[in-house]
Amino acid sequence: MKIKELIKQDEGLRYAVDSMEFMSSAGHRYALETNFETDAEGLEAEWRRTSRAVACLECSSESQPFKDLMHCLMQLHDVRSTLASLAAGIELSEVELFEVKHLAFISDKARTAIGGLDLTDILPLPDLSGVFSLLDPDHSGVDHFYIYDSYHPRLASLRQQLNGMQDKEDAASGAAELFDEIRRIEQQVCTTLCDGLKQYSSNAIKSMEQMAYADFLLAKARLCEQWGLARPVVGSQLSLEGLFNPRLKHHNEQVGARYQPVDIAACAGATLITGANMAGKTVLLKSIATAQLMVQCGFFAPAAKAVVPLFGGLEMSVGDGQNEMNGLSSYASEMVRISQILEQSRRQRMLVLIDEPARTTNPVEGKALVEALVEICQRSESTALITTHYSGLGNHCRRLRVKGFREGLSASRLSPMTINQFIDYSLEEDLDGDAPQEALRIAALLGCDAELIEIAKQKYQQSKHTQL
Amino acid sequence: MPFVADILQHRSLSIVGMEKNTGKTVCLNYILRRLNDMHVHVGVTSIGVDGEQTDAVFATAKPEITLYRGSHFITSEKHYAARQLVSEIEATGGVRTALGVPVLAKVLVGGKVLLSGAATTRALLGQIALLSDAGCQVAIVDGALSRLSLASPAVTEAMILATGAAVSSSLPTLVGHTRFLYGLIGLPEVSEALKERLENIESGIWAVDKEGEVHSLGVASVFLIGDQTRELLRYGRTLFAAGAVSDRLLQALAASQEGVELIVKDFTRLFVSRQTYAEFVKRGGGLQVLRRPQLVAVTFNPFSPQGFMLDSKQACTALSEALGVPVYDVKQIER
Repeated sequence: MKIKELIKQDEGLRYAVDSMEFMSSAGHRYALETNFETDAEGLEAEWRRTSRAVACLECSSESQPFKDLMHCLMQLHDVRSTLASLAAGIELSEVELFEVKHLAFISDKARTAIGGLDLTDILPLPDLSGVFSLLDPDHSGVDHFYIYDSYHPRLASLRQQLNGMQDKEDAASGAAELFDEIRRIEQQVCTTLCDGLKQYSSNAIKSMEQMAYADFLLAKARLCEQWGLARPVVGSQLSLEGLFNPRLKHHNEQVGARYQPVDIAACAGATLITGANMAGKTVLLKSIATAQLMVQCGFFAPAAKAVVPLFGGLEMSVGDGQNEMNGLSSYASEMVRISQILEQSRRQRMLVLIDEPARTTNPVEGKALVEALVEICQRSESTALITTHYSGLGNHCRRLRVKGFREGLSASRLSPMTINQFIDYSLEEDLDGDAPQEALRIAALLGCDAELIEIAKQKYQQSKHTQL
Repeated sequence: MPFVADILQHRSLSIVGMEKNTGKTVCLNYILRRLNDMHVHVGVTSIGVDGEQTDAVFATAKPEITLYRGSHFITSEKHYAARQLVSEIEATGGVRTALGVPVLAKVLVGGKVLLSGAATTRALLGQIALLSDAGCQVAIVDGALSRLSLASPAVTEAMILATGAAVSSSLPTLVGHTRFLYGLIGLPEVSEALKERLENIESGIWAVDKEGEVHSLGVASVFLIGDQTRELLRYGRTLFAAGAVSDRLLQALAASQEGVELIVKDFTRLFVSRQTYAEFVKRGGGLQVLRRPQLVAVTFNPFSPQGFMLDSKQACTALSEALGVPVYDVKQIER
C-alpha cells in the first residue's frame, strides 16, 4: 500500500507528511507514492540513506553545495508526462523542449552539488549533458530556449526579414506568409531535436525521479531533526521506548501543556491493556499505529528507541464506526471490522490494534466476545494490542495497565484542559486482571451533574453489596 | 503624449474595462507602442483570457495585443503555441490551468500574441514579481472586472479605467456608472498596520475592534449572515469582508443604523448598486479598502458593439467634468 492511501486511514501519518517541507511538488508526489515496505533489507537501506541525509543536514546545511542543491530542487518541475511523450516518440512543443532543457540544466547543477556533499553513492544522478548540448546550440549556458537561428541555415535571414517588416508596421499578408515559413522550419527543427533527444529519455526520467527522491529524503531528514525521531532496528518483538504521538505532542507544546512519552513492548499473541477513562489508551494505540506505519514507510520512529518487527500490514479498529447510510449500528460496524481484521491476521503476520471491542453491547456477551477475540489473537502469529474496560477476563495473556490518576487529586484543580497533568500515562504489568473502576471519580472530578453522580454512587454501592 | 509618462512613475499597471468592448485592448496596444518608442522595457500579463481575435460575446473584430522586441510576456502554454512572434522561453511554472502551464518569454521579433494569465490574485502577484525579476521596468496587467474572476487587477500600483458606449447608450447613464466606479476606485485605504493583519485572510466576515485587533465572527460567507447583523457588531462598528460584497450585505448593514465601517480587499470585490451604496452612506456607513491603485487615466470608446456610436468629444467632456480628471478617446489620441 502507498502512503497516499495510508494517510486516509491514519491521521498521524498524514500529519507527518503534511509537516514535511518539500522543495518541489515532485518531492511531495514521490512521498505519496512511497510504499509500505515489508522487506527488511530495503528498509535498512532506506534508513541508512536517511541517516546519511540527517548527518548531511547537521554538518553541511550552511554549505554552498547544500544551498545549491536546495535551489535546484526548488526549480524542479514535475515533467513526467513530457518525458513519457519523448520516450514514446511523440513530438514535443517548444515549451516542452524548454522543460527538458531546464531539467538537464538543474540536473547537472544538482549532480555537482550532490558530489560536493559526498552523497553521490546514495543519490546518483545520470549525466544529461548530451541533452543540454542538443538544446543549447549557441553554448549560452542558460536554460532559456527557443528554436535558435543556428538550428537551420534559413532561420536567421527569415527572422531578420520579418523584423524589418514589423519595424515598418507592415501588417500586410507578406509578413503572415513569412511567419508561416518560419513556423514550418521551426516545426522541422522540433522533429529533428526530438529524434535526437529520444535516446536520452530514460536517463532524463531517472534524473527527474532521483531529484524527486532527493527532495523526499531531505524533507524526511529535516523531519527527523525537528521531531527528534529515532532510527529503528528490526527485531522479533515490538519495543518502543519513549513513544510519542507527534500531533498531540506538538499540540500540547503549543498550549503549554505537558506531554508524557511512554514505553511499550509487545510480542506475538495478544496483549490486553486496561486503564481508567481518559488514561490515554486510544491515543496509545494510535501512536503505535503511526510509529509502525512511519517505520515501514522508511521514516524514523517517533520514539527515543524503536525495535520493530516488520508486519505484513496494520489493522486497526478505533472509534465509532456507526454508519446510518449502510444501516449498521456502532456494534454491527465494529463486529464487521473485527471479522475483517481476524481474517487478515490469519493470512499474514499483522499488527492488530483494537480499541475497547464490544463496548456498545451488553456487558455479559460483550465480555465473552472480548475473551474469544483475545483467545484467537493469542494463538496467532500477529501482534495484537487490545484495550478494554472489562474486568475478570479469563484469558491467559500478557496484561498491561495505564497507571492512570495520581493520588491526592484536588477537584478544584481539575478541568478537561488540565486533566493530563494528573495522569501518569506510563504502563505497568497488570497482575490481577481487574480493570480500574474510576468512572464515577473522573466524572465527579470533571464537575459533572452532582445528582447523577450521587445516585450512580448509591447504585454502585448497592450492586457491590448484592454481589457480596 | 498624455498619461503615458505617468505610467513610468509606477512598477505595475492594470488596464481595466468597465464592460467588454470599452476599448481596453486598443488602450493597451497604444501604451505598448508608446512605451516601445520610449525604449521602456515592459512586461505584460493578464487576468483570464484576453486578446481573443474575435470577441466571444458579440463576435466583433477585436484588436490583438502587439508586443515589441525586448519586452516580456506571460501566457499559457496553449496560447504560447499560437503566438505570431518569435520569442525565447525563460521560465515555466506556477499554477497549471486547463490551458497548460504559464510561460514567461522574451520577444525576439515583435508580433501578436494571445494573453491568458493568472486565475487568482496570488498567482497574479507572482507573475508581476516574475516580470520585475526579468528586468521589466513596468508590468502591465490586461485586467478584467468580473464576479467570476478570483484575480484582482487592483493589486497593481496604477490603473487605467476604460469606459465606453458599451456601458450604456445613454450618456447620462454612462457618466453616472463611470462616476460611481471612479468613486469606488478612490475609496480610502486602511492603515498599513491594519492592512498587514487583514491581507492574508481569504474568506469570511471579521470584526476589527478599536485597538485594531481582528476577531473571527464565525461567518464563512456574506451569504450566511441572515438576520445576525447585530451579532456581527459585537466587537464594534468596523467589519472586514474578505470576499465579494453584494447589495445584500450593504443593505443589512445599512438597516442596522449603526454607521458601520466596512473594509474590503479592493474595489473589485464590490458588486453593489449605486442605490444601495448611497443608502448605506446615508445611514452613516463607510467603505475602506486594503489597496487602492492610483488611477492614471480614464479612456473612452465611443463605439458600442451593438453598432451605435456616441459623440466622442461631448462624452469625453461630460465624463471629464463629472470625474474631475482628463478622459481620452484612445482612437482619437492614436491618430
